[in-house]
Amino acid sequence: MDVWSSLMDGFATALTPMNFLYAVIGVILGTAVGVLPGLGPAMTVALLLPVTYALEPTSAFIMFAGIYYGGMYGGSTTSILLNTPGESSSVVTAIEGNKMAKAGRAAQALATAAIGSFVAGTIGTTLLAVCAPIVVQFAVSLGSPSYFAIMLLALLAVTAVLGSSRLRGFAALALGLAIGLVGIDSVTGQRRLTFGQPLLADGLDIVVVAVAIFAVGEALWVAAHLRRTPLHVIPVGRPWMGKKDWQRSWKPWLRGTVFGFPFGALPAGGAEIPTFLSYVTEKRLSKHPEEFGKGAIEGVAGPEAANNAAAAGTLTPMLALGLPTNATAAVMLAAFTGYGIQPGPQLFSSEGPLVWALIASLFIGNLLLLLINLPLAPLWAKLLQLPRPYLYAGILFFATLGAYSVNLQAFDLVILLVLGALGFMMRRFGLPVLPLILGVILGPRLEGQLRKTLQLSAGDPAGLWSEPIAVGIYIIIGLILLWPLAYKLIRRNRPQNSSLLPANSGAADYSD
Amino acid sequence: MTIVVGYVPTPEGEAALTQAIAEARKSSSTLLVINSSRGDALVDNRYAQEQDIQSIEDRLATQGIDHVIKQPVRGHDAAAEVLDAAEEHNAELIVIGLRRRTPVGKLIMGSVSQRILLEADCPVLAVKAG
Amino acid sequence: MSSKTSGLKGRAELGVALLLGAAGVLVFLDANGLSTPYSHTDPVGPKTVPFIVAGLLVVCAVLLAVNVLRGGKGEAEGGEDVELGHPADWKTVLPLAGAFILNILLIDWAGWVISGTVLFWGSLLALGSRHYVRDGIISVLLSLLTFYGFYLGLGIALPAGLLEGIL
Repeated sequence: MDVWSSLMDGFATALTPMNFLYAVIGVILGTAVGVLPGLGPAMTVALLLPVTYALEPTSAFIMFAGIYYGGMYGGSTTSILLNTPGESSSVVTAIEGNKMAKAGRAAQALATAAIGSFVAGTIGTTLLAVCAPIVVQFAVSLGSPSYFAIMLLALLAVTAVLGSSRLRGFAALALGLAIGLVGIDSVTGQRRLTFGQPLLADGLDIVVVAVAIFAVGEALWVAAHLRRTPLHVIPVGRPWMGKKDWQRSWKPWLRGTVFGFPFGALPAGGAEIPTFLSYVTEKRLSKHPEEFGKGAIEGVAGPEAANNAAAAGTLTPMLALGLPTNATAAVMLAAFTGYGIQPGPQLFSSEGPLVWALIASLFIGNLLLLLINLPLAPLWAKLLQLPRPYLYAGILFFATLGAYSVNLQAFDLVILLVLGALGFMMRRFGLPVLPLILGVILGPRLEGQLRKTLQLSAGDPAGLWSEPIAVGIYIIIGLILLWPLAYKLIRRNRPQNSSLLPANSGAADYSD
Repeated sequence: MTIVVGYVPTPEGEAALTQAIAEARKSSSTLLVINSSRGDALVDNRYAQEQDIQSIEDRLATQGIDHVIKQPVRGHDAAAEVLDAAEEHNAELIVIGLRRRTPVGKLIMGSVSQRILLEADCPVLAVKAG
Repeated sequence: MSSKTSGLKGRAELGVALLLGAAGVLVFLDANGLSTPYSHTDPVGPKTVPFIVAGLLVVCAVLLAVNVLRGGKGEAEGGEDVELGHPADWKTVLPLAGAFILNILLIDWAGWVISGTVLFWGSLLALGSRHYVRDGIISVLLSLLTFYGFYLGLGIALPAGLLEGIL
């Protein structure tokens, strides 16, 4: 394996002055949007997609990598200083982190979150660099039947396991698949769902769909439910840790990493479960269990590490198989398509330098986050006082600009508004947006593999399970479809479970 | 009669409150405490949290001062809220805290105190932090 | 009062089921209208997947309707700047959508600088900012900046519209 030399080449590419600059921009932008309410890394990457089409793909992805890790980092800052976790993965961090901050230990909480993120991110990225080529080696030997099965697994797993309502997940998935159908069928040249509208013949631009669902839908949704009572941000100086904090943090960091990476790499692992597992584990192993619920540093260190390791894990199936398992990865995958790069196992061979530069930039971004952001924490907290009108008007402005600039057609803006309204409706009625985006992205590829498979088997459906791997995956799919029954039982028992969390943590509202 | 005090959880705000309490005792007036926010940002550190308000409430109660505490969030700036309240209750006095502002800061942000001083119909007592 | 609003809420969610069902029927009818001579190179054809998707949509629609009628409810999405305690604030959302639509109508005719200014300024207004002049200046600057930024930086010529020749 020449992982090492490829990675070194990647570093050489990522460290050219221009690319390094993009990494810095990405990290700062990512942290800013992570801190800002209502903005997340998925939305930011979506908003930047059109602008980055003028860049080298490598530079663009280096910036996206920075945004991805930076967003995670910024999210932990707000959950510690404000107790308003923006994403379900930082709910657990908020429990102890905010208690620490209220007890005047904000600096230590931020420091253990930052350094823990760095440690977990670095280990996670190393695992990514090691695992992804192995997965690829295994994947290139697969034929269409297995590949079809794997994609089906990814779609169903994300839909069935994440989110609170399986039914609503499938509804979102179906809508996404329908959106993905629009346009000329690539095999027969027939027009599907174009309603005689020539502008729809090329299909819906994935950039427009992503911007509509993540930016317009979100901005309208937040605008409709603005928080009315202003919050207090806990004042903080430069984050630092004492010797004792280090002693209490390093083991939770490593354990959190162990929980996070595999869950992130699984098709539907996500970051919520490992952060929760990490919290429970630290509480059990801690020498200071009495501090839990009052601001135990282990309760910040572990989950934050798990969160970031999961983020690195998520990139493994994304790069090695072309399967996104969270919103940001999905939008990044859309970016590949936008550049005309075919995601999938062949990515490592066809776009090797780009992939390795991306992985190298993850290492660099991680280090940059630590170096740039530790001293900047008080500044980030100031960002929260930005008046909302500017924030949300800005999102709409740049969403419009981006969507319009792709084809310079006002028609795209109509689509943007219609799908934005759809995104609003989905948030209102609890339909998760991730299955929809995955349906749009993976649907056409899934159909392509299906048709290829049956073409090879001359129309015999048995061709679908002609490879042993495919059979194995169908069994896993079966298990996943049954698993929600078990999951429901667990959820029903959650009230007893959640006594692990302090009742007044404020996290209850977010436990979706 | 009513005394209106513009309160913010800062040393200036505390100074204003202390002074206002003293004035209210002297004339045995009702003390109207105004702590407002425009409410246009997620975070506003000048908007007092529940504990702060509770401790003011206790402080006023133990001193036996007739009082009302209001926290309007209506998108208006602090000066407008204080002036509104003063007009509505026909206040005899407004008490505010002053903080040092650089000329540039004043130019960009405007000055709440200045607006109150210029536009109030009743006497305004401006105090500085200890 | 609360039972009335929850009743309304339930009925509103039936609209989602209706939308899914309608989408399903639409996908079905559209696929049904495709002409597909059977071919050996493409035994699946362009119809199969749309039929499956249509079926999934209709099944989801029915199940969702049943779920809602039985009292099931989708959890509205939370967030750091979201307070779900109060009902949707249409007085903010509708003007926002209005500014957005105005931009769509204006962009090709009046050009990005004008339509973008209208969009940003209108959105600020809708969201409750009351610094009309300052907001106006910022809107114009932002639109100009993006216009030239896209032109010079990215080589994308946004429409100049009415200001053709001036910009």
